[in-house]
Amino acid sequence: MLVTGMFQAKTCSRLRFSLAAALVAAALGGCATQDTGAAEPWDPIEGANRMVFSINRAVDIIAIRPIAVLYRDWMPKPAQRGLHNLLSNLGEPVTAINEVVQGEPGRAATTMGRFLVNSTIGIAGLFDVASTMGMKKTKEDMGKTIGYYAGVEPENGGFYIVLPIIGPSNARDGVGLAVDASMDPFNIVTFAISNQVGWISAGARYGAELLDTRTRTMYALDDLEKNSVDYYAALKSAYTQQRADLIRQKRERTDSRGELNRRDNVALVR
Amino acid sequence: MSVLATDRRCRRDVLRLLGRTAVGLGVLATVPAMAADDPGQLIQTVANEVIELVKTKTGAEREAGLQKVLEAYFDMPFMGRSALATHWEKTSPDERRRYLHAEINAEAHAYSDRFGQYGGQTLDVGKVITRAGGVYVVQSRLNQKEGEPVKIDWEVRNTGEGLRITDVKIEGVSMVMTRRSDFNSYINEHGGQVEALIRELESRSSR
Repeated sequence: MLVTGMFQAKTCSRLRFSLAAALVAAALGGCATQDTGAAEPWDPIEGANRMVFSINRAVDIIAIRPIAVLYRDWMPKPAQRGLHNLLSNLGEPVTAINEVVQGEPGRAATTMGRFLVNSTIGIAGLFDVASTMGMKKTKEDMGKTIGYYAGVEPENGGFYIVLPIIGPSNARDGVGLAVDASMDPFNIVTFAISNQVGWISAGARYGAELLDTRTRTMYALDDLEKNSVDYYAALKSAYTQQRADLIRQKRERTDSRGELNRRDNVALVR
Repeated sequence: MSVLATDRRCRRDVLRLLGRTAVGLGVLATVPAMAADDPGQLIQTVANEVIELVKTKTGAEREAGLQKVLEAYFDMPFMGRSALATHWEKTSPDERRRYLHAEINAEAHAYSDRFGQYGGQTLDVGKVITRAGGVYVVQSRLNQKEGEPVKIDWEVRNTGEGLRITDVKIEGVSMVMTRRSDFNSYINEHGGQVEALIRELESRSSR
């Protein structure tokens, strides 16, 4: 959250976009010769990554996971769904922008339609009315967009990096995250009002998102941790594969139907 | 050569076990006949058996049942070898045997735990995609009572002894690939000794 927050400023986001694109090109170009392929994610800063990983885990064990457990077990399910819908709704504009960049204006229009319907009839996005009206939910981010256009294997997202709090990422997705946050209309508007309003609203939103995501991934992460001999390596591999799968689907354009919440949908059997 | 021998011995054990189970449980009575030449059918059979096991058995019984499913329908020696990657070549026949044994135990234990209580899940088997070299990918969807269905792709190969599952991909995450990263990292951190991994797996399954 801190990382993305730092990209918030009132300057033109397009400039930063081209800078980011250049960074990605450098990162991806730099490893093209490495032929990371599908075998092992490229991890040149493993030492630093493992350190951040262990700090993240400590923070998770002490604070984040216990809160997520309380939230999961004590917060009524309709309220949990409501918060999830609300956060998803706030994310729709960014999805729409990405769909435009991906060359799918039709899907972008549907996404904006969802946003309008859910923001009004769905009471600020608490209820996903649009889905019942047949407007399918999609979720896009700049990491996927870059992966879609980058002429490399989707497993190759540049170097692997463990971000503070956020966790597993890579050059491609990390830059994507920052770009997404900097072009998010809600961030632009709130930071335009004042820095204070911007930081408070972004803090509340990303904090809630962290809680929602942590709750949804709890089952899968617990499982992976328990059943691996080197959790760091297993998570690195699983993250890389899952992101690659999303990008590959994008490229193959086969199954758009079930694409929706796949990123969150690592809940397995519950 | 030794791989094949282990393989064959393993299969023989499986058949013997299955024979015994068929009498004991009744549910599995039709199993050997359903080894099937249809990849989609194979997945459906596995799903039905696993759901049945999860519904009716718990604890050690369930674990034993899942172990039999793994041995009967999955090509565990192949998956184990893929997971070890280049380290496989430098292991002795005895290490390979212990490694595969520990790996099967660990997987059965993990799956037994993973399923918890039966929550009304069903598996819809979808398209079967044919790849080069006798490899099939069977697409499926696990429906849950709550939340989105989970995408599961099964890699099925013709092993010469019929079709066997060689990988499971859940939401694009391959079990074999993840194990491979996991195991190799562990081995490299322990001076390249496969023995360290085997001991760790053995101690885990006895826990």
